[in-house]
Amino acid sequence: MESALPMEFYLKRVFVVSEKSQFAVETFGLTKVFGDWWGRSRVVAVEDLNLKVNRNEVFGLLGPNGSGKTTIIKMLLGLLHPTKGRALVLGGVSRDPKITARIGFLPEESYLYPYLNARETLDFYGRLFGLNSKVRASRIDALLDMVGLAGMASRPIGTFSKGMARRIGLAQALINDPELLILDEPTSGLDPIGTKQIKDLIVELAKRGKTVLLCSHLLADAEEVCDRMAIMYGGHIQRLGSVDELLKQTNKRQITTGVLTEDAIQKIRSIVEKQGSEFEVSEPMQRLESYFIEVVRQAHKEKRPTSGAVNRLDATQAEATAAVSDVLDRLVSAKVETQKQAEIKQSVETIAIEPDKSVLTKLTQSSDENLTTPVSKIEKPAAEAQNPENIKKNILDELVGRQGLAEDEKNG
Amino acid sequence: MGRIWAVARNTFVSAIRMKTAIVFMAMLLILLPILSYTSTGDGTAIGRVQSFVSYGMGLVSFLLSMLTIVVSCYTLSSDVKHKRVYSVVTKPIRRFEFVIGKAMGVILLDLLLLAVFSAVIYGLTIYMPRFAKTSDEELVRLKNEFFTARASLKMTIDKQEIEKQAYDVYNELVRTGQLDESRSRESVMTELRNAAKYNMYAAGPGGMVLWEFQRVKPFDVNESLFIRFKFNAAQTPADKNLYGVWYIGDSRQTQGGPETMKTPIYQIPRKDVVDTMQEFEVPADAVAADGYLAVGFYNEPMNNTAVIFPIEDGFEVLYKAGGFGGNFISAILLMLARLVFLACLGVSLTTWVGFPVAILCSLTIFFTGVINGFVVQSFDYLGQNMAIFYNVTIKPVIWLLPKFDQNYNVNKYLIDARMIKYGFLAMAAGVLLLKSLILLLVGFLIFAKRELAKVVI
Repeated sequence: MESALPMEFYLKRVFVVSEKSQFAVETFGLTKVFGDWWGRSRVVAVEDLNLKVNRNEVFGLLGPNGSGKTTIIKMLLGLLHPTKGRALVLGGVSRDPKITARIGFLPEESYLYPYLNARETLDFYGRLFGLNSKVRASRIDALLDMVGLAGMASRPIGTFSKGMARRIGLAQALINDPELLILDEPTSGLDPIGTKQIKDLIVELAKRGKTVLLCSHLLADAEEVCDRMAIMYGGHIQRLGSVDELLKQTNKRQITTGVLTEDAIQKIRSIVEKQGSEFEVSEPMQRLESYFIEVVRQAHKEKRPTSGAVNRLDATQAEATAAVSDVLDRLVSAKVETQKQAEIKQSVETIAIEPDKSVLTKLTQSSDENLTTPVSKIEKPAAEAQNPENIKKNILDELVGRQGLAEDEKNG
Repeated sequence: MGRIWAVARNTFVSAIRMKTAIVFMAMLLILLPILSYTSTGDGTAIGRVQSFVSYGMGLVSFLLSMLTIVVSCYTLSSDVKHKRVYSVVTKPIRRFEFVIGKAMGVILLDLLLLAVFSAVIYGLTIYMPRFAKTSDEELVRLKNEFFTARASLKMTIDKQEIEKQAYDVYNELVRTGQLDESRSRESVMTELRNAAKYNMYAAGPGGMVLWEFQRVKPFDVNESLFIRFKFNAAQTPADKNLYGVWYIGDSRQTQGGPETMKTPIYQIPRKDVVDTMQEFEVPADAVAADGYLAVGFYNEPMNNTAVIFPIEDGFEVLYKAGGFGGNFISAILLMLARLVFLACLGVSLTTWVGFPVAILCSLTIFFTGVINGFVVQSFDYLGQNMAIFYNVTIKPVIWLLPKFDQNYNVNKYLIDARMIKYGFLAMAAGVLLLKSLILLLVGFLIFAKRELAKVVI
């Protein structure tokens, strides 16, 4: 179990916070062994983990129950002490308030105070971040709206369903506009619409230069949003790489067409069989998630009553994306006036992207599809993401460039 | 500070909304007015009020102590047990801030409840004499003996003098060969010391017991002094009554003849039942200008027995030194210090143990505090045989235990209208707060190192 640690590790022990780490999360031989009441080692939950999560990427930790995913997150956040090794988060240790001020965390279950209502809950967490009352009020409104619980702001959390509590849990994780968002089973207990919203949100956050560390055993969800992923088993990483690298089947090809006549199908079959390959024709199925959302959207349009969360179901996909974007704008644009907050912002190295509000507002408010679509088309620079300066420059350039484009189009 | 306040506020709001707090509040709000109506005491107006304050303050103090123990043991342990702490300590708050916030939240709750219930008790106490028919005489007695704050002069024990007397007797026993050689020297000396103490404030038939006090400063010389006493007889008379004459004034004047008399010396013959607390009143102008006061008790020869005033509560002079309101506030502050201690104790314990263990420990410590005098005496007695071990191990732990009995019991002051001296209040509250701080510091250290998500397989 004993393994030599790289020199980098020892250097970082000395130059932890002053150094501008290119990684959002970095672990060095991280090991956790759980013992029994007498202190005897019983279960090796994580062993010799050397994990690097780049800034501005959505990283998925996948694995079956008990594979060590949540243990890793707990060690990253200082809720568990590593038996061996070390973990750096945003270039520092997570017990440092300057670091935790930049992290948003959604635990595996929404552990909330049952006697507080939704607004009070978010207000409490906002206070822990030292946000002043104006900023808190503005962010709470935006977040409650985003998670579809604006109408239930005064209801005690204890009366919420698991899914509704999960939504509040997500809102509290976003109240500080975090640079790094750690989500442990974020879609657990959520209905398909909530799941979809979370996935949209993750994508939108990534576009804004945030890092998301996602821990899940729901593979389909992770597949949709993750840039890279690690598949864990028995406390070890079994596979690590980008989604394409891991999932691409290089020995197969897929062709999608419109409706074909039987004659055309036979012609294609003969061509393919001449090549010595297998050929299969089927009618593609609609995804259950899309179908479900369509059904609920219809019920919402018909104004059927519900006591649960109310989502923006009447919106198109583009509008829904714009709505998430708008909430995030309100989060980043709310001016934090407290001196301490300002000090934190100054004293720690940050790669948080500060989008030009006027640009974002124009983009999200315009009815012109061309103005919103390009934002979603921004290619995230996977390789360049390792350099924070590049990330900031690239995305802002893209945004400003698009604005220029839009203005050009309007002018003429 | 903002983060501590956020945690404190959250703890306070949660505690208020817990059914436990509501039940406690409802119980007190119902019981206190009922008590004010049903308290009769000895049937007199002062007896009724004393009885109400005694039960009322006792009830409030006990129930608030229980509530504090329950809430303080619950708040942090419940956050850890239900993992709410995961979402809190991963925010930019230091763990010691979280622990302080928790304790502050419980203290805030105590402040609110204590303010409400003490206001209820104060209001009912003030208005109680008006509810029932109260004669003018009873009203005057209430004013002088209840709605006031009286300073207390007590017997002092000259330890050196007692030691000298015991030593002299011991030497005499040795010299005359009357010493029982089967007994140890220390055992004989202890007995002789007790006998010397016993004799210090005792008088045979026709004898006199004298108490002298310096620096006596009555609030107003036109007010009264109250002599409170309880005596025993070496041989209790059949009717249990003893006769005596009390002399109160500046006894130094008697040496220079009547022309040198500047202040009066009062002479009061009385017949009182043995072993029962008695109180009588004399004008406060008996005190000399320099604050000297002597009180003498002449044991009438017809009693034909020695009269003994017990060291602990045999004799006391009370005089007005402040108002009831101020004294009531001091009593509430002393009670608050007790609640602060209990709040810090509960929160500190739950930084490393769960709710059941914490509440058991807190209750044990609370009840130990209620009988602290007995506990300390017991351990002191045990410690005589293992002094070094006792001094470095048990004694510091005993010191950490709170004292809620004897001088720290607020009822003792309010019922007898005794002034809680500011010096004593500052010392008593200061020591309790220091102990609370030590408990919190231990809590910080444990909580800072604790693995909050630890799993034991």
